[in-house]
Amino acid sequence: MITDNANCATCPAHNLANLVKLGIDMSEFDYVVALAGNPNTGKSTVFNSLTGLKQHTGNWPGKTVGRAEGGFKFGEKRFKIVDLPGTYSLLSTSDDEEIARDFILFGQPDVTVIVIDATRLERNLNLVLQVLEITDRAVLCVNLIDEAARHKIQIDDRLLSKMLGIPVVPTAARQGVGINELLKQIHDVATGQFICKPHRLSSEIKNVSHAVDQLNKKIAQTFPDLPNTRWIALRLLEGDQKVMDAIRTGEIGNLKPVENFGE
Amino acid sequence: MNKTEEILSTANKLRWEVGENFHDSILESIYKDASEISEKVVTRIGEKPKFDLDRFIDRIVTGRWTGFPIMFLLLALVFWLTIIGANIPSSWISYILVDTLHPLLKNFMNSIQIPFWITGLLIDGAYLAAAWVISVMLPPMAIFFPMFTLLEDFGYLPRVAFNMDNLYRRVGAHGKQALTMSMGFGCNAAGVIATRIIDSPRERIIAIITNNFSLCNGRWPTQILIATIFIGGTVPAYLAGIASAGAVVAIAILGVLFSLIVSWGLSKSVLKGEASAFSLELPPYRPPRLLQTLYTSLIDRTIFVLWRAVVFAVPAGIVIWLVANVNIGGISLAEYFIRGVDPFAFFIGLNGVIILAYVIAIPANEIVIPTVLMLTVLSTKMTLGAGAGVMFELDSTAATANILHAGGWTVLTGINLMLFSLLHNPCSTTIYTIYKETKSIKWTMISTFLPIAMGLIICFFFTQIWRLIAG
Amino acid sequence: MNPLTSLIAGIVFIVALLIVFLPGVGIIARWKRIRKDRSRELIEDALKHLYDCEYTSVDCSLNSISGSLSLSGEKTAQVISSLESMNLITSHENKISLTPEGRSYALRIIRIHRLWERHLADNTSVLEKDWHSVAEQREHETSREEADRLAASLGNPLIDPHGDPIPSITGEIPEREGITLNNLENGIFAAIIHIEDEPKEVYAQLSAMGLYPGMQIYLLENSKNKIRFEADGEECLLAPILASNITVVPISEKEHVKEKFQSLSSLKMDQSAMIVGISKAMRGQQRRRLLDFGVVPGTIVKAQLESLSGDPTGYEIRGATIALRRNQSDLIYIKQVD
Repeated sequence: MITDNANCATCPAHNLANLVKLGIDMSEFDYVVALAGNPNTGKSTVFNSLTGLKQHTGNWPGKTVGRAEGGFKFGEKRFKIVDLPGTYSLLSTSDDEEIARDFILFGQPDVTVIVIDATRLERNLNLVLQVLEITDRAVLCVNLIDEAARHKIQIDDRLLSKMLGIPVVPTAARQGVGINELLKQIHDVATGQFICKPHRLSSEIKNVSHAVDQLNKKIAQTFPDLPNTRWIALRLLEGDQKVMDAIRTGEIGNLKPVENFGE
Repeated sequence: MNKTEEILSTANKLRWEVGENFHDSILESIYKDASEISEKVVTRIGEKPKFDLDRFIDRIVTGRWTGFPIMFLLLALVFWLTIIGANIPSSWISYILVDTLHPLLKNFMNSIQIPFWITGLLIDGAYLAAAWVISVMLPPMAIFFPMFTLLEDFGYLPRVAFNMDNLYRRVGAHGKQALTMSMGFGCNAAGVIATRIIDSPRERIIAIITNNFSLCNGRWPTQILIATIFIGGTVPAYLAGIASAGAVVAIAILGVLFSLIVSWGLSKSVLKGEASAFSLELPPYRPPRLLQTLYTSLIDRTIFVLWRAVVFAVPAGIVIWLVANVNIGGISLAEYFIRGVDPFAFFIGLNGVIILAYVIAIPANEIVIPTVLMLTVLSTKMTLGAGAGVMFELDSTAATANILHAGGWTVLTGINLMLFSLLHNPCSTTIYTIYKETKSIKWTMISTFLPIAMGLIICFFFTQIWRLIAG
Repeated sequence: MNPLTSLIAGIVFIVALLIVFLPGVGIIARWKRIRKDRSRELIEDALKHLYDCEYTSVDCSLNSISGSLSLSGEKTAQVISSLESMNLITSHENKISLTPEGRSYALRIIRIHRLWERHLADNTSVLEKDWHSVAEQREHETSREEADRLAASLGNPLIDPHGDPIPSITGEIPEREGITLNNLENGIFAAIIHIEDEPKEVYAQLSAMGLYPGMQIYLLENSKNKIRFEADGEECLLAPILASNITVVPISEKEHVKEKFQSLSSLKMDQSAMIVGISKAMRGQQRRRLLDFGVVPGTIVKAQLESLSGDPTGYEIRGATIALRRNQSDLIYIKQVD
């Protein structure tokens, strides 16, 4: 189990056993990429541009029929990409949100691509910040920059990347703008050439930081390898049954960062 | 695992400390960060433009004086294009699959000495039913769905939901039900799938159960044919067109009324205990892409639904052929059934042929009329059509009328058939889809039997009152 | 057959069907109710009552039990003796108290009851006045496992919609805190933490006044025959006997928002305002959905678009246009900004 991280900079991080449990066949792929995003951000269009598949895109939540999967090759690596249901949040316990949440938490995708609408950045950041609480490895795809230009909105993607600690790629997926750059960034994060330092919620959560800290410390002591103990603490304080069960069965302990597949 | 239990019990104690507003506080702090970040990275180039196209379109499509006419005209246009546009390709496909290929296949089977009953089961039964469903169903869906999808991609449909919500709120439903209902006018199975856009469980089930009250593509031709023969036939020739069209529209509007009434009833009774919430985002307008839309709506919706329909039509075709051809004591099963049911059917102003047709043509409403014609010919021993168990349709309305009159049909039968065509169980494709979507036997049963119970009751009372008045 | 005869026959047939099958009032429903064994319900209700006495530190007697279960004294004595034989209670000189087993049984029933109330409030359209009676039915029909599943699906809630704590799986329940409103002193800020849901009529009256757990109040006058206070900026008047059904905890003045709240529904077209809070009456999935959309204190909203019939209204919230029904925007509080 003790492997040197440096020796294995390009090892996949995903949790193979859990992916199989989630119904993902990884036999012909090196990495798994999850695609998350609000409804109506052109997420399916991004999916189509990445994979060459044709999937209907619509203006509604819950539109993605079932869970779409596809694949692509970049460099010498083969990627499997899983299109998660479009959701506004990962906290509201609707079916769609649970599917997305479980995949990111238990499937531990090598990269989570979050697609957002450039014209509605602030609202979309809600989901981005939630995803970054769970996972360390993400790429932000700021889609619909053409629409943003039409509305005279400009987004400083470098500053955004610096503030969020993950690669940020502006795209106009309909026109195919920025897709190559997106592929490259996915590749770089997956192979460990780009190490993310994701933004974690900075502002104090009103009146309760003491409780969160106390619980966080306890979890970190028991599961020293977990990257997202604070998020686990938040979920426990919200009474999330699935996370409680995962703690009880020790499943949470299996969700370790990169070393997991080092051997 | 003591340590993990310790974590959990600590968490439980702390939960009392953090209190009820914890979830609110988390979201508040997330949005605080979000707005700090977006303030820094988002800049507006120049002044905000005075003319905002999105707002302008919004003002018009939700305007008090412009909103309704636009909505009505757009939907009317979509339906009109569908009905008009589907005629020609429908007759082409029917010419190829039914008129040309069917006899060819039959001759071929005969020429290689296949027993008649195998030919009957496979060619007259299974093949013909599938061919019929494809030729009647495919063209209208291939026209209707892309147009609907274009309106959706443009961003107009959420505005319809927005405008209609007030009405639907009053009956305990969601504004988006206006859209799934419109979709149901194309195909109920597709309408049921479309209810996925409603994210509140209660409102979604209401939309699923009431979708059947939208007169679907498979029922429009029945309505038009029967209205032309029986309603158009009762008025002077120059009024016939308007009268029959008016009758069909009246039935469609009656369907909408029923869907509202039933929605209200459901939300006040069986669905009282289900979760309910309302949320609706009005997305920005975006130029739709024609080719992409055509392609995806064809694959996602048309082919998907058509395939399901064909799968159900094939066994039904076999059953239809069997009931007309299996004889006991020289009388076919169909005739036994028709004679047995006739006295009961009399009370609801229908006849045994119609009841049997609705039982065996459950996979698709499209094959109801061909089955009715075949059964009428069979039970009246006419020498028309293509033989026992072979569905057929006639090119001329007058010839069809002759068969029906010979079968003892009256104006009352016609009107009742129109009512019953609106109010009966959904086709098996839709029933299966409802089960797939709800994963609940209970809701599937309610969706299936509620409309047929309503149909029987309404036909019964209509018939008795009609007879009372007509003497 | 004569159409008139069949018409009448048809009507008679349908009426007959309704009489037999109508849920709740039909013959079958009545017959089921009569046949049902009430003894378990009685035992459980008696335990709950005894626990209530213990929690509020009041002595319980045979009389109070027969009062709360509306049973004759004789019947009550039967229930008590069967409770004793099951080793759930002990009685000493007219004073009845729970054994540990009895207490944990009572807590389990209370847990199930409050979970159901939470569920009815958050996830259903059952009216507020019916929560208690529906939960009162369901508590006897729900197994421990079903209750745990219900709790998990609700996110293991801590308190019920009336502000009462829900016992945990292991039967833990926090100490009672707060005082009843009629004991609050003048000029004190307080938050309502609990509104007693029995008797039904009183609760209906209190909830009709718009009072809910979590609401902040300021006591203006507490005299022998009336209690005057400000709640969410509006002045309310209660008789002391009614006020005794409300439990409050004093809060520091700093947290209190003095100005009168305006609701979002009062915002005029094209005007902006800042959200200062969401009423506690907005619950469950609905509340979470709005929070996801960015309806949180501090958000600037702008009334942007009116639908054809005036309801719902489209608001610009964090860059997106969200349609809210009037009954939703009524529950969101705003204040004017420049």
